[in-house]
Amino acid sequence: MRNLIIFFRNYFNFLFFLLIEIVCFTIFLRDNSFQRSAFLNSSNAVTGKLYQKYNDIQYYFQLKSTNDSLVQENARLRNRLLSDYDRPDTGSLQVTDTGLGRKFVWLPAKVVNNSVNNANNYITLHRGRNQQVFPNMGVMSPSGVAGIVRSVSGNYAVVMSLLNKQTSISARVDSGYTGSVVWSPLLDGAHGILKDIPRSARVKTGDAVVTSGFSTLFPGGIPVGYVDRITDDPSSNFHTIRIRFATNFYNLQYVYVIRNLKGDEKNKLESTEAP
Amino acid sequence: MSELLKNIFRFILLILLQVFVLNRILIHQIVNPYIYMVFILVLPFRIQRPLLILCGLALGLTMDAFMNTMGMHAIACVLIAYLRPFIINILAPQGGFEMVQKAPSFRTMGVAQFSVYTLILVSIHHVVYFTLEVFGFAGFFYLLLKILLSVMVSTGLILLYEMLFVSRRRG
Repeated sequence: MRNLIIFFRNYFNFLFFLLIEIVCFTIFLRDNSFQRSAFLNSSNAVTGKLYQKYNDIQYYFQLKSTNDSLVQENARLRNRLLSDYDRPDTGSLQVTDTGLGRKFVWLPAKVVNNSVNNANNYITLHRGRNQQVFPNMGVMSPSGVAGIVRSVSGNYAVVMSLLNKQTSISARVDSGYTGSVVWSPLLDGAHGILKDIPRSARVKTGDAVVTSGFSTLFPGGIPVGYVDRITDDPSSNFHTIRIRFATNFYNLQYVYVIRNLKGDEKNKLESTEAP
Repeated sequence: MSELLKNIFRFILLILLQVFVLNRILIHQIVNPYIYMVFILVLPFRIQRPLLILCGLALGLTMDAFMNTMGMHAIACVLIAYLRPFIINILAPQGGFEMVQKAPSFRTMGVAQFSVYTLILVSIHHVVYFTLEVFGFAGFFYLLLKILLSVMVSTGLILLYEMLFVSRRRG
């Protein structure tokens, strides 16, 4: 017993160090599960508030480009207005459409923090549980897909941006083939990789890559990026496609969080069929 | 100003400097300088080792909270906090440094010793941090290059910080 006490006294520093390191590693490894608490990240009250305060100032320096992207989006949406199109001139064909159920709800959110040069990049939004933002919701910038909500607190949410090793988005090329868009730290903040497109698919530079609509995160047809370079490995059956993201992550100021009202139903059904 | 107050002030200053200045400057995708560990490097010589480790933990977790890196900074900071006394012992001349109420700096350790001390601890921190950051990722040379360049920039910035803020002050 005495020896044991002496042992502990002699090696107290090392054992203490070991204990603390184990605690840190537990935090680190637990992080790899998708859902997690919103305590030790930038959605907690102190860091969220600080980032928001900082953004209040920094925001002014990007007003011009933010405004431009919002105007472009407005123009695109105006072009889809019903009043832009000729309708049949008689009232006899009019259908009062009550059969359409709403599937997606778009919630605007302010970006208060955003990183682009880490191996895993996150966006912090000033919207949280109190505003109906929950983990696993899609996030879109005015010009394209931006990321997936990972954790939320009362008023803040942390979003895994496309620039994150763990993000993978189901996407489709013009010719109809579906693959997934991923990112690796070898690339910069403007480019990603589209993988799993078979060699037989015809793909050319400049083709649009859009969301497939297979996942519950995004409606189909939202731009993810544009084919930038195709470098094929002869031993592989799949294209290696580098894409340029539609979203400019370097000056992200406003995003939309996409709430899928029927997502739970789809996921529940799929999980019963494929355990 | 008391030593405790000075260190608390330095802690907050370094975190803000790192989060709102250095993390915002995009030098290149491959160069991410970190200088917030200066806090650990310049704690007094006389600090008890468990307390030093706890300081490392607090610093690391605060950084993790800002950068969404769950535990990575904490692991690296606790490690350098634990190794700090060994490095100081190796670099100390016969009879040790002037230990009473002093902290490592250019004046107490000498320019060469302090630079080597900074370089070693910054390297350890960066190796651990960047290895964890690109965990399970195959680009070994990419990792090596990233560590090498980041260590160079970080060490340079830390020595500059020392020259600007600390060594000027006499007394």
